[in-house]
Amino acid sequence: MQYLDTGWFGMLLTLIMVSFIFTNIMRAHSSHRKGSSLFIRRIAGLNAIDEAVGRATEMGRPVLMVPGLSDTTINAKSLQALNIFSYVARTAAKFSNPILVCCYNASVYTVAQEMIREVYQQEGLGDRFDPDSIQYVSDRQFAFAAGVSGMILRERAAATFFMGEFYAESLIFAETANSVGAIQVASSTEFNQTPFFIAACDYVLIGDEFYAASAYLTRAPVLVGSLVGQDWCKVALMLLVLFGALDVTAEVQLQTTRGRKDGKEVDVPIHRKRPADSISMRMLNPDPDTEVVKAVKREKLPPDQISIPSPGGGGN
Amino acid sequence: MSIGEKLQSLPKWILFLCLIVTASVLQFFNIPLPNKPQDPAIDYYAFAMSIPPGSTVLVSSDWTNSTHGESGPQFDALMRILMRRNIKFAVYTTADGQAPQVAKDEIRRLNEQRVKDGERPYRPFEDYVMVGYFPSAEGENLAMSINLRSAFAGKKDFPEGAKEPVDIWQSPVLKDIKDISDVKALFLISASNTDQIIIERLAAKVPLVYAVTGISAPQNFNYYSSGQLKGLVGGLKGIYDLEYLMTSGVNHPGADGKIAVASTRVPGDVPPLPGRNQGLGTAYFPTLHAALALMILAIIIGNVGMFMARKAQGASK
Amino acid sequence: MLNLFLDIDPPTIFNAHNNFQTLTTYIIGALLAGFGILFALLKAPPQTRRGIVFFVTFISGFFYVLLFIWPSPINRSKGDAPINGFDNVGFWLADAQPVVSTMTQIIGGFLIGLGIFSLMRIHLKRIVKGGGDAPFSFTLVLSMILMIIFGFWDFHQRQQPGAGPLLDNQANWGFVNYAKDYLFDGMLQEMEAAMFSIIAFYILSAAYRAFRVRSIEATILLTTALIVILSLMSVVEYQWGEMVNSVAGGNKNSFVQNFTLTNVAGWIRASVQQPSIRGIDFGVGIGLLAMSLRIWLSLERAGE
Repeated sequence: MQYLDTGWFGMLLTLIMVSFIFTNIMRAHSSHRKGSSLFIRRIAGLNAIDEAVGRATEMGRPVLMVPGLSDTTINAKSLQALNIFSYVARTAAKFSNPILVCCYNASVYTVAQEMIREVYQQEGLGDRFDPDSIQYVSDRQFAFAAGVSGMILRERAAATFFMGEFYAESLIFAETANSVGAIQVASSTEFNQTPFFIAACDYVLIGDEFYAASAYLTRAPVLVGSLVGQDWCKVALMLLVLFGALDVTAEVQLQTTRGRKDGKEVDVPIHRKRPADSISMRMLNPDPDTEVVKAVKREKLPPDQISIPSPGGGGN
Repeated sequence: MSIGEKLQSLPKWILFLCLIVTASVLQFFNIPLPNKPQDPAIDYYAFAMSIPPGSTVLVSSDWTNSTHGESGPQFDALMRILMRRNIKFAVYTTADGQAPQVAKDEIRRLNEQRVKDGERPYRPFEDYVMVGYFPSAEGENLAMSINLRSAFAGKKDFPEGAKEPVDIWQSPVLKDIKDISDVKALFLISASNTDQIIIERLAAKVPLVYAVTGISAPQNFNYYSSGQLKGLVGGLKGIYDLEYLMTSGVNHPGADGKIAVASTRVPGDVPPLPGRNQGLGTAYFPTLHAALALMILAIIIGNVGMFMARKAQGASK
Repeated sequence: MLNLFLDIDPPTIFNAHNNFQTLTTYIIGALLAGFGILFALLKAPPQTRRGIVFFVTFISGFFYVLLFIWPSPINRSKGDAPINGFDNVGFWLADAQPVVSTMTQIIGGFLIGLGIFSLMRIHLKRIVKGGGDAPFSFTLVLSMILMIIFGFWDFHQRQQPGAGPLLDNQANWGFVNYAKDYLFDGMLQEMEAAMFSIIAFYILSAAYRAFRVRSIEATILLTTALIVILSLMSVVEYQWGEMVNSVAGGNKNSFVQNFTLTNVAGWIRASVQQPSIRGIDFGVGIGLLAMSLRIWLSLERAGE
């Protein structure tokens, strides 16, 4: 039994990062109890939320939000987008400004309904909540793109928020919203689409700013602590990258007569060490020892107990 | 409105009309263009050509008609290589319910072309199997990494002429496969986020070779440069490179004795593929050129307009 | 089909065939049980409900945490017995994963009903009210109904014994198959392709609007963008390379050779673009890890 898949180092690194996040959540809690709080730098895109909603109110036009495309069910990215939209909806509710949330999948739609309804109820404005303002549009990518673009054009949205997972439709949304003069705040967890948003939107949250948003907006200790923990993780990764760069640079200068075959070190003709054989690369990419794998021998189950389609057999 | 201001705010319809004209007109001409294939495409071709004939590979066909312009020729080129080299393949998708049908239609079309060209048709079930669609990319690719047999359990496909579908594990394509590590490679043609998911779940288990859309290419270049991808074809330029390599080979002397594509990345001579190699990639490439040229022209016009307007403003002050 | 139970004989709810008579009973039973649980949850006091949700979320997440942490069984063949208790857990986790994954899909599938309900409520209301948007809503509802009817009808025909390969040949198609083909391949797929192609137009208009030399940063962005665009144009790339080569006097090792478009674009890609992508990806990955932990332990909604 070995960690042949992920390697012990990858596992350890993950656990260290998890411990960083928990430690800082606890730190933030204790700071909060003492009346102080941890520092978060300014994020322009999030400061623009109030401005965008205020402008929509002045113009009497709706605020349109899209929590991205997610796989067949809700995921952490769409949930984070909805967290940000809860704040946007709260601001809009205070100004009695209409909102529109366009959902790509039914799971997100269901959760969005509940979250936004709760926001209105918390603000004591439950009667102003319009269930039709949260809409399921389509779970076909380009049908969704066409549907949302149509809504932007027909409703002439004054402010648009595109946050979460976006793919090819990002530019369609951004350019359509631009054509009706909407102020746009956007963020895509998909790196490929971020340049499109940068080219076409007013404010863009890049990379993990998207995950920092709820901490920035609510200043809740759990979220702030987790954000600081994320920064510790980044420092750890930076150190690891630095170590890796120095290690590989140094090791490839060396000559060796040892090489690897089937997960074992063997004698080979003298050669310059390959990056793949360096310590840091071996830590992150363990090579399963085929002899160890072959040495694992198991007894067979009685035929009447075999109910699982496993290697060597077929399904039905 | 001054000329500078006009140049800065050209109506969108003018830009769009220019693009329609440029993109459409060039489709009617066959213009041979000089090319210098990039390293990721060279590695893609060399790796595909190094797979032993008769072995089995997986093809994750995660594209539909929306990205036919890029993914279609990528799929065609891969199929041509696999079919000509008698490599068996199993096609599955975790991206879109339509994808298996799109792949099936494409294979049927290529098979018709093969028959016309005097090549043997690739037989369903014997030479390739259609595994089908799995709705959860994360779940399925994770399941494949743990136990390929149970991940593909219960899937059936039609042997040629059969009226009833048969379990895919009885197919010669998969019968000797116990685990994902028995598969020689996983080829991905993706217009979706499955490129990231497959890297996360399967990179340590099976050699990965990707063909992705132009937009996804930069992100995947990361995995190529780190060695997690054995080869990468990105967008139309990538497919043009691949079709070019299929015709010229790598480090391979042509009829005139000259080596059309030389690369130190690939040891030895990787021969070209005999037969029809140039497809939609070659046909669409001139259009890409013209569209990019139009984009550069539009950027220049916008900037010239801006400078003219600034100059006029400066003069009026 | 839940893979874990595929081989069980006699068939159960998990591996029952389409013609298995008790399947309907099982489905109805499962539906009733599901609705019963849902009803009980709705009637439960908020504190209890929250507790149940926390518990279910934790257990669901814990499965995947365990799957990640627990060493997976190696060199396993069909019919193998686990070596020890440790191996037994590994076997169980590996076999249960497809089941858990499928359960997620089933829950997601149930929610589609709510999505369709939302669509129908909004659009039927609009049709009844009339007004400028009513024709759009009518088109949507009509398209949905037609697609459901012909989609299922065609699917049903293809499920009949021997019909699958027969209907792959267009010569054997009837009205239903033509209607489904027209709606699905002829309209939906083509319209999706059309929507995708619109991006080309928007890229052009966005580039025209955004790439202006307004500041030093914008100039750097524009210059790098132009180099990358030109490197995708093989004619320019080739000619530029020839020009550089003639300046270098054909010497492949000349310093000037670094200035071919291929090399400059390659340098931008490898030294500027890739490190920034990696940096952003690390940040996004860690953010996702923190977010997932908060969701798993229900810290996200608790806030304080």
